[in-house]
Amino acid sequence: MQDGPAAGSLHRLPSYHPAVPTARFLPRLALVAFLAFTLGACARKESAIAQAPDSLRAEDLVFTSVTPDSLALVVAAAGGKVTLVNVWASWCEPCRQEFPELVRLARTYEDEGLKVVFVSADFTEDLPNARKFLAAQGVDWPTWYKKGSDQAFIDALSPRWTGALPGTFIYDAQGKLRDSWEGKATYAKMENSVRPVLSLPPVTQVETDTTSKESRS
Amino acid sequence: MKATRAALLAASLVLVSGAPAKAGETASAPTALALGAKAPMATTKMKTANGKEVSIADVKGAKGTLVVFTCNACPWAEKWESRIVELGNDAGKKGIGMIAINSNDPNVNADDSYAVMQTRAKERGMKFAYAYDATSGIAKAFGATRTPEAFLFDASGKLVYHGTIDDNADDAAAVKDAYLANAVNAVAGGKAVPVAETKALGCGIKFRKSSAS
Repeated sequence: MQDGPAAGSLHRLPSYHPAVPTARFLPRLALVAFLAFTLGACARKESAIAQAPDSLRAEDLVFTSVTPDSLALVVAAAGGKVTLVNVWASWCEPCRQEFPELVRLARTYEDEGLKVVFVSADFTEDLPNARKFLAAQGVDWPTWYKKGSDQAFIDALSPRWTGALPGTFIYDAQGKLRDSWEGKATYAKMENSVRPVLSLPPVTQVETDTTSKESRS
Repeated sequence: MKATRAALLAASLVLVSGAPAKAGETASAPTALALGAKAPMATTKMKTANGKEVSIADVKGAKGTLVVFTCNACPWAEKWESRIVELGNDAGKKGIGMIAINSNDPNVNADDSYAVMQTRAKERGMKFAYAYDATSGIAKAFGATRTPEAFLFDASGKLVYHGTIDDNADDAAAVKDAYLANAVNAVAGGKAVPVAETKALGCGIKFRKSSAS
């Protein structure tokens, strides 16, 4: 398990940076092929198995540590028109429940410019489990695990986050936080949160029983 | 590369400087009890692991009261558990009454049941009340969102500390700042707490659906 950029690593960017885009572009072709399949109504499950996850081995995943200080760089390097950061843990049941929906969101809106950045909050001894879960979910793009101070990590994502998992944060291309919530969300909620930031019209009614109020400015 | 680097820098500045809390952002969590506030629902009785009916007011100590929302099934709560027990047992000796409260719905995880609390309290040697918040109403009233989450009240009943146990759940030996222990010691000594509000990652409290109380 390699370590990611250390705190205050701005000046170390050149050595760190190439790892991100290289890994980031790898899944692109596979994703395009994958999406072509998923467009067929009921073919989704079969095609998902046929395409990415089958060959995805836990040990091959790009799964790197991120510190509170390097978090912003990771979000920026994701290069999304919209970047969704989801903080999860392999033992966290609501995280596991919403995870497939986040993966689906990432694939559906990839071409519109959405990047999904998963950050695991697993303890060191649970990182192998996190890796297995990511592989099983077919996450064939780089993801991260938290290292360093919780408090700084929480405040770097949003000072208003209490730290309860899962936590989800929507940033625009300028790195400005546009929406965030605690607890698991439905696909409709995720979609209705990212679509306006992607300059897309809403498609479904936002559910009212979540803890977050949507931003619409 | 240069342009990319500049963009990275710009974006990182926006994020690191705390700019997120702007017009577009929305509050996502219930508002927690503010510093200076009194404990809500302080007279509501809860069943404790040793079979008694106890309220927050019942455990009030001469110097203060410590309320810790925790549970049996959360890995963070488990990591911190021995430290919480030690702290709670110690607080009692210092005149600060301690109550640990499990507000999780055991229908989400059976390990958060009352029966498991009984075993846990015995096994871990809890000398304080470990109470079952049967409606999750206490956690809601406090605006607690995760386990573990601590609220410390001084002798006059005012909230003087709200937050986490210490700055390292994963490794007790690597703790640099034992926030809650420091706050407990300050309150026991009649002094101002050094750090009044802290945060840490934790399991979201599994609230019961509102009507099922």
